[in-house]
Amino acid sequence: MSTAVQSSEEPRALPRPPWGRHLAAVAVLAVLLALLPLVLAPAQQAVAVRVLIFALLALGWNIMSGFGGMFSFGHAAYFGIGAYVSVWLLVERGVSPWIGMLAGMVAAALFAALIGFLALRYRLKGAYFALSTFAFAEMLRLLATNSDLVNRAVGYNVPLRGESSWAFIQFEPGAAEYLWIALALTVAALVVTIVFLRSRLGRFTVAVRDDEDAAAALGIPVMRTKLLTIMLSAAITSVAGTFYVQYYFFVDPDVAFGSSVSIQAILPAVIGGVATIWGPVIGAAILGPLNDLTATLLRDPPPGLEFLQGRAGLDVMVYAVLLILIVLLLPQGVYGAIRERWERR
Amino acid sequence: MTDPTREHGAPPLDRGTVSTEEPPQTTQLTTPAPGGRRRAVAVRVAAVVAIAVVALGLAYWRTGNEVVVTQAVLTGLMIGGVYGLVAMGLTLIFGVLDIVNFAHGAFLAVALYITVEMVGRFGAHPYLALLVSVPLMFLLGAAVQRFILSGAMGKPLENQLLITLGLALLIDNGLLLFYGPNPQSARLPNDTGINVFGAVVTVGRLLAFAVALVLAGLLYLLLQRTRLGTAIRAVAANDSGAQMVGIDTRRIYMATFAIGTACAGAAGVLVAPLVTIEPTTGELFNIVAFVVVVLGGMGNVVGALVGGLLIGLTEQLGALYLPGQSPLLSVFIVFVLVLFLRPQGLFGRAA
Amino acid sequence: MRKPWIAAVAVAMPLTLAACGGSAPPGTEGTGGGEAGGSGDTITIGSLHPLSGAFAADGQQMDNGAQLAVDAVNEAGGIECLDGAQLELASGDTQGAPEVGQSEAQRLIQEGAVALVGTYNSAVSQNVAAVAERNQVPFVIDVSSADEILQQGYQYTFRLQPSAAVLAQRGAQYLAEVSEQAGDPAQQVAILHEQGPFGTAIAQGFTAEAESQGMTIGPVISYDPASVSDFTTQITAVREAGADVMMVAGYYRDGVLVANAVDTVQPGLDAVWGVANGAFDTPQFPGEVGDAGEGFFDANYRLDMTNEDTQALAELYRETHGDDIRTAAVLSYDAVQVIADALGRACSTDPTELRDAISETELDSLIAQDGPIAFDETGENENAAPILMQVVDGTVQQVFPSEYAETEPVYPASPNS
Repeated sequence: MSTAVQSSEEPRALPRPPWGRHLAAVAVLAVLLALLPLVLAPAQQAVAVRVLIFALLALGWNIMSGFGGMFSFGHAAYFGIGAYVSVWLLVERGVSPWIGMLAGMVAAALFAALIGFLALRYRLKGAYFALSTFAFAEMLRLLATNSDLVNRAVGYNVPLRGESSWAFIQFEPGAAEYLWIALALTVAALVVTIVFLRSRLGRFTVAVRDDEDAAAALGIPVMRTKLLTIMLSAAITSVAGTFYVQYYFFVDPDVAFGSSVSIQAILPAVIGGVATIWGPVIGAAILGPLNDLTATLLRDPPPGLEFLQGRAGLDVMVYAVLLILIVLLLPQGVYGAIRERWERR
Repeated sequence: MTDPTREHGAPPLDRGTVSTEEPPQTTQLTTPAPGGRRRAVAVRVAAVVAIAVVALGLAYWRTGNEVVVTQAVLTGLMIGGVYGLVAMGLTLIFGVLDIVNFAHGAFLAVALYITVEMVGRFGAHPYLALLVSVPLMFLLGAAVQRFILSGAMGKPLENQLLITLGLALLIDNGLLLFYGPNPQSARLPNDTGINVFGAVVTVGRLLAFAVALVLAGLLYLLLQRTRLGTAIRAVAANDSGAQMVGIDTRRIYMATFAIGTACAGAAGVLVAPLVTIEPTTGELFNIVAFVVVVLGGMGNVVGALVGGLLIGLTEQLGALYLPGQSPLLSVFIVFVLVLFLRPQGLFGRAA
Repeated sequence: MRKPWIAAVAVAMPLTLAACGGSAPPGTEGTGGGEAGGSGDTITIGSLHPLSGAFAADGQQMDNGAQLAVDAVNEAGGIECLDGAQLELASGDTQGAPEVGQSEAQRLIQEGAVALVGTYNSAVSQNVAAVAERNQVPFVIDVSSADEILQQGYQYTFRLQPSAAVLAQRGAQYLAEVSEQAGDPAQQVAILHEQGPFGTAIAQGFTAEAESQGMTIGPVISYDPASVSDFTTQITAVREAGADVMMVAGYYRDGVLVANAVDTVQPGLDAVWGVANGAFDTPQFPGEVGDAGEGFFDANYRLDMTNEDTQALAELYRETHGDDIRTAAVLSYDAVQVIADALGRACSTDPTELRDAISETELDSLIAQDGPIAFDETGENENAAPILMQVVDGTVQQVFPSEYAETEPVYPASPNS
């Protein structure tokens, strides 16, 4: 698929199953991060929440494109559906975003099934499959931009409630609850990933990715397996969209369906390690703050580099160079590289 | 380069995108077998003519004014020429290196700024910048391939994608750093309109269009008639096979990427007088260029030119059919239809 | 076997590290924003603009404008009733992206900014307005056109630039008055507008007012400003419809393309009439399109070049930054002045008192408008208004209403005659 020459050798193969330990690690991580609000100031907490949203996006992407081997360059479609469905229900109908989240998951999964079916029915692969997913995300963006049903390019503001509310996911700015909810959603996605990999569907998915013909010969229902994987992936990503709107209070077609969202779904996974359980989370933890770090660095440069201060564009250049270096030097991602080293011991 | 009119009579679904089992580079640069070509051509020409008639009829019905339709067609062709021009280098890289190069627009932007420099600093005619831009961009492309992308060859699609995206970010923001954000321009002296059947077109656009044709021809000759071209086609068809017959594939990759980037260099100079030049201007063309590449069949230079023209027309006529919708919407609709129905491209040969 | 543990630590580490390296000076425990800033010596004002990315040209100008205002206040002795406290500008780069704008806003507030100015992009402003409201920090919008921002009932958000409704209505009125004065009243007006909320709102407001003034509207053509590359077809449609005026609402790049297409197609119009157009009134527009832009009108908010203070600021800007100051930068300058003025009257950096003081602002503006800056209960600047400009002999001149006119409007101004 995306790798063109697919093999079942190390980087993309299934992590062999210390499932219990993986779950335990998730639990430890959850507890550790849940304590973050105690030590973080609000602006840093905002970065942490952004990291978790990235992670959620990428966890979704990783199911379809990492474990499933179907390279999506259009996850913005599912993120955007999650965002728009929930905010539409909230603003126009007063429905709680938790219900909106479920509705968004269903809608995203259905849309994913539709375009997945079309792309698979016409047997698109590799770059062509990727470009088709991209095209659908862009079509949604253009349709939303010109559709009165969803307020055209204006988008939606989430109405402020004035009081904290778990039912409507709205708290004081900088409240720890935001981080906890984002954390809970990310942990849930991690657990779903682990359970998925253990399940029959997960094993079928990996088998189909590694050798479609052999899998079919063994009686695995290829089309159904792929579609279910795509739907699961879309549903997870849509949750990121729903939470994004509640946290940022605003959505418009570019924010929801723009191609930068699709890129942000891919980046953490590739940096962390494609088709690994932990890759997307690690990648997000590296990338999320990277932008802020380079910006901070150039805002108050260390002694000797003062001439760099305030040069617009430089921070993004530094970010780009780091990105290229990471991808070139750690092609299997950070987690992939760490794991390889451990296994060599 | 493949003559786009020749093809096998293979069923359209059994086709030429990268397949999992075989070596990845199975593109259309191979020399085709001549079977069944007349009938296929006739069918295809008939289909194109039929679609064109329907499209024009619809446009006339929507607007009720033949001058507007004529203008839309003319403008569509001119813009399409530019799209084709931008897509040519991209399709070559896509076809031979199998890399989805998101930095192509950024390379184009570099050429735009080279033009600005030439015009601003030396008062040269904008098109004279071709003499500087093409060789410079050739070298830049060679260097980028050698030092950055060579490490990504054969890596998963997502890795290549991120590297080229990173490159694009790097270049765009480098331009922002050096030239600042203010828009620049490189206007043609005495660029007047010419009347064609009541519609008008400027000399600048006509020139860009003409050079696009010439460039497509030159590239075609390069690929078909030179040893380098033959080697490139061989690598595109089967790189391990090419290696076995003694072709240095690494050099060919570098040369191809350099040629593709030089094409972006040429396109940038020709486009410079037609656009407002900002660090992000190149990105405008990226998406459309990819659509054109798929439409024309990846690796197919002539296909890219024709694909560009079709997209230009789709955009202009689409704006007449669906007023109030973005013309890009019709472009994407056409794109998806082509992906599904003829994924090897309108002019591609089924593998 | 211990892999998963490693992973958990690997995740937790950079998160905490980055968070620590994040930004804030140690010890600023910032939620309210108020306590941190005011202790007599320096008061921080946050400036949020797109300093990189596609909108960097305007964003950098605006940040410069805000800085000049801070310098001016400090040179004049700072905030008098706060013991001459000096102002300090803390800049954030929104990159034109809402989520970056939000975290930058959070950061500035945390670093002790008593108020924010910004942000140019409507999407970002919507976001920052929500942040400001929730943190109860006053936010003065210099430029952002979307009317929705102030329709959320926010208490802490104010806006200097006129709303799209006012821009569109005045644009149509000016057209009626100018064309009538010239003895050649506009009859059929074609509309060409970008399809975003800004262009759509302008087109709707303009249509309503123009029709009530007895003009007919048509054809109405919208376009996607992000991807459009040629306007000859649209302008041909305008010509074939026989319109005598074409209203254009859009941004810089597309405005240049419109001028080029008008030059090519020769639609025989009496006037090309921009409303809040991002190109027609910029200093670089005549240079970029040459003769093609001669005679173009634009009804837009505008720095008042008949005002001596504005001239001095423009001169200063040219000296400091080697560039012509844009109206957006003057609005940022005004925004900082509004905050400084309110600080001076509130004699406090308490955000609520500062907010109340801002809401009672009555401050002369360097922008050409109906009166001093004053905010209505929604936070809109009630005296904000556009004036009419025209490209005359290769420079942009203020031409209408007469109290702001540098020269007489030329109407009809058939661009190609």
